[in-house]
Amino acid sequence: MRSRITNLVVSGVLVLTLGVITAAAFTKTVTIKVEGMKCPKCSASVSKALKATEGVEDAEVSAEKGVAVIKYDDQKLTETKLREVINSTGFKAKEEPGQ
Amino acid sequence: MAFAAPVSVLRQDVKAPQFALKDLNGRIVRLSDYKGKVVLINFWATWCPPCRAEMPDLVRLQREHGKEGLQIIGITYPPERRARVRRFARGLKVNYPIILGTREIKARFSSDETLPLTIVINRDGKVIEIISGILLREEFDEKIKPLLMKDIEGEMSNAKSNH
Repeated sequence: MRSRITNLVVSGVLVLTLGVITAAAFTKTVTIKVEGMKCPKCSASVSKALKATEGVEDAEVSAEKGVAVIKYDDQKLTETKLREVINSTGFKAKEEPGQ
Repeated sequence: MAFAAPVSVLRQDVKAPQFALKDLNGRIVRLSDYKGKVVLINFWATWCPPCRAEMPDLVRLQREHGKEGLQIIGITYPPERRARVRRFARGLKVNYPIILGTREIKARFSSDETLPLTIVINRDGKVIEIISGILLREEFDEKIKPLLMKDIEGEMSNAKSNH
């Protein structure tokens, strides 16, 4: 009986660990340069739109540095889609060479 | 310019401060003109990229939901030159009143300096929501559409009770 409980607990821990590892494997962080964010009052819309996008786990936007640092699930989203979301707020996500 | 009783920083679910201000064509726009409608007061600036990005959506919302009782009023903030605002509004074929705002009127609605900023007023003239930043489609569906539906439901139940 005891060994059965131990087996169940070990299996449970294993499943949870695998789940966490898999979720972490899908999470990517990207830094995108954003042009035109001269007014800090306006840049709030960029993080708002990003955070409302399904698959975005977190978004930090700095008007001062002109960047958006985005943590996202790459199974649900692509970097191209993230750039489209930024562009929809009236700013311009700078294309990186090779994209 | 005329205001109702002063409300320094507006809280949600309180009566919206009344105003009477001139639009770009010199016509006096009063909040009371839109009694019974769901009013969105959109603070914006011509130099603000998200404000410019959301304006075509606001034009579309006014066109699509105007019959249901939606009324958008654009108020520039901070103060801007009339000619510049007029040129911009014409270019976008804005189909709702645009008012040249002042710091005073903005302060009566909200101390939030984010642009754009949209004040949502229900059919009873109460501020229901202050939407900071660009108005997302999901926000409109979730927060504003139910306000538009409310009157339709009310009218239907009134019609039923009259029969």
